[in-house]
Amino acid sequence: MELAPVFTWLYGLLLSLGLGTSVADLISLVALAVIVFGFLAVVALFLVWWERKVSAHIQQRFGPMMTGWHGVFQTIIDALKLLQKEDITPALADRKVFFWAPVICFVCAFAAYVVMPFGKGLIVSDLNIGILYIVAITTFTIISLLMAGWGSNNKYALLGGMRSAAQAVSYEVPLVLSLLGVVMVTGSMSMNDIVAGQAGWGGFHWNALFQPLGFLIYIIAATAEANRTPFDLPEAEQELVAGFNIEYSGMKFAMFFLAEFVNMFTVSAIAATVFLGGWNGPLLPSWVWFLGKTLAMVFVLMWFRWTYPRLRVDQLMEFAWKVLVPLAFLNILYVGVMAKWLKW
Amino acid sequence: MVEVVRQFASGIYNLLLGLFTSGKHLTRHAITIQYPKERWTMPERSRGMVVLLTDHETGQLNCTACLLCMRACPAGAIEIEVEKDEKGKRHLKGFQVDYHLCCFCGLCEEACNFAAIKMATKYEFPEYDKKNLVWDINKLAEMGLDVPYEKPVRKTPEAKKPAAAASAATTTPAPEPPADAEPGGDATPPKGEG
Repeated sequence: MELAPVFTWLYGLLLSLGLGTSVADLISLVALAVIVFGFLAVVALFLVWWERKVSAHIQQRFGPMMTGWHGVFQTIIDALKLLQKEDITPALADRKVFFWAPVICFVCAFAAYVVMPFGKGLIVSDLNIGILYIVAITTFTIISLLMAGWGSNNKYALLGGMRSAAQAVSYEVPLVLSLLGVVMVTGSMSMNDIVAGQAGWGGFHWNALFQPLGFLIYIIAATAEANRTPFDLPEAEQELVAGFNIEYSGMKFAMFFLAEFVNMFTVSAIAATVFLGGWNGPLLPSWVWFLGKTLAMVFVLMWFRWTYPRLRVDQLMEFAWKVLVPLAFLNILYVGVMAKWLKW
Repeated sequence: MVEVVRQFASGIYNLLLGLFTSGKHLTRHAITIQYPKERWTMPERSRGMVVLLTDHETGQLNCTACLLCMRACPAGAIEIEVEKDEKGKRHLKGFQVDYHLCCFCGLCEEACNFAAIKMATKYEFPEYDKKNLVWDINKLAEMGLDVPYEKPVRKTPEAKKPAAAASAATTTPAPEPPADAEPGGDATPPKGEG
């Protein structure tokens, strides 16, 4: 069942109630924001549970089992516990920076979903610079990590923040370059156009099939962008004792934690939309295809995390600048040549 | 150049191999035993709680009050009270095991000649109150009711005769209740004096 007609019907209902177009628009905007926010909160809670289950089963454990069926309610209970915790600000912290860091992290993680096509017609706002907007807004997360590291007045937190800044500057470049190949082929930055460009072959005309190198570069760079192992240096538990979020407790910590998982969902959703055909697919409703592809990508990221060890900082930088950036340029060259010759 | 390509391919291969290995473990069943719901079957000779064994034919404790176990105990956890009747025969009056002291070495079981004391495989007896860890004869006998054991061959005067030497009729062990029965659930505890 497609969901877009439901929203159209609801909007029509608002208009038929005698409200003006501007008022109806305002109400529908607020409603959409709440819906997207609620959806992402549920997704983040689910992903935390899923991550724990995947990690446990890769290590042949069970993971959470006690709260609900196979522990599905574990994250909800954990979030409730975090709500009750004391909110501690270190005495020598920069209070304003310390306070705003988790807020910015949270907001930026959620803001990327303004242009995310969840399904056929299910897009909050189809900006014509959609992909650029996503790349730009997700980069703000790094600023919040830097703020958290600086504001905490703690050497480990500062190291974590600095590492995240260095990592983001390095991996943002191959990430954008890998997305550029798709933009060249599509001829548009709008997310809807990118999805529509992959509608052929019954929904399996995936960009990943034509640009496997670009897809690979994107996955690697996205893993780094989402601060996931093997690129989780900003919060390396063993050396930085959790890095930038070491001084955070209670709800602020929960915001960082949820934002981290929303970020993981974001990079997976972009991978699904840009490279794996988005919501295109036969038989099932479009939003099921989107969710399925995104969750499969999330699973791959989790699989990475529980397989690969963490890189050293110098290896991280070397890999980004000496391997990924040249390969990304090579990919652009390849896409350009193929687009010119084969008229993709 | 060839070397670079070869190293690159080898790196990719090893990364995929790592993914394959962790994926293989993902599909295997977890080895965790979820303790309160699932339990180990303990090895037959594992040393859990100390119990007194009852002869299921007569309903009497096997103990003859010889005090060998008390002497064998390195921790001094066993205390036995003995009373003599008018003929001078020793009777068991009280038997006490102090689990604060017991080191679960099993020497009492080895010392016993009559299969009267045994370390059962049962291992769950935590208490909120330390007082409850000192078990008297009733508790020990009650916990021993469902413990399977092999009755030793008693050398009766008849068995010493060569004609009856081959007879194995007297050596039949007592009927054994199942090992997983609830302790003390189906049988009444025997009287204090064995």
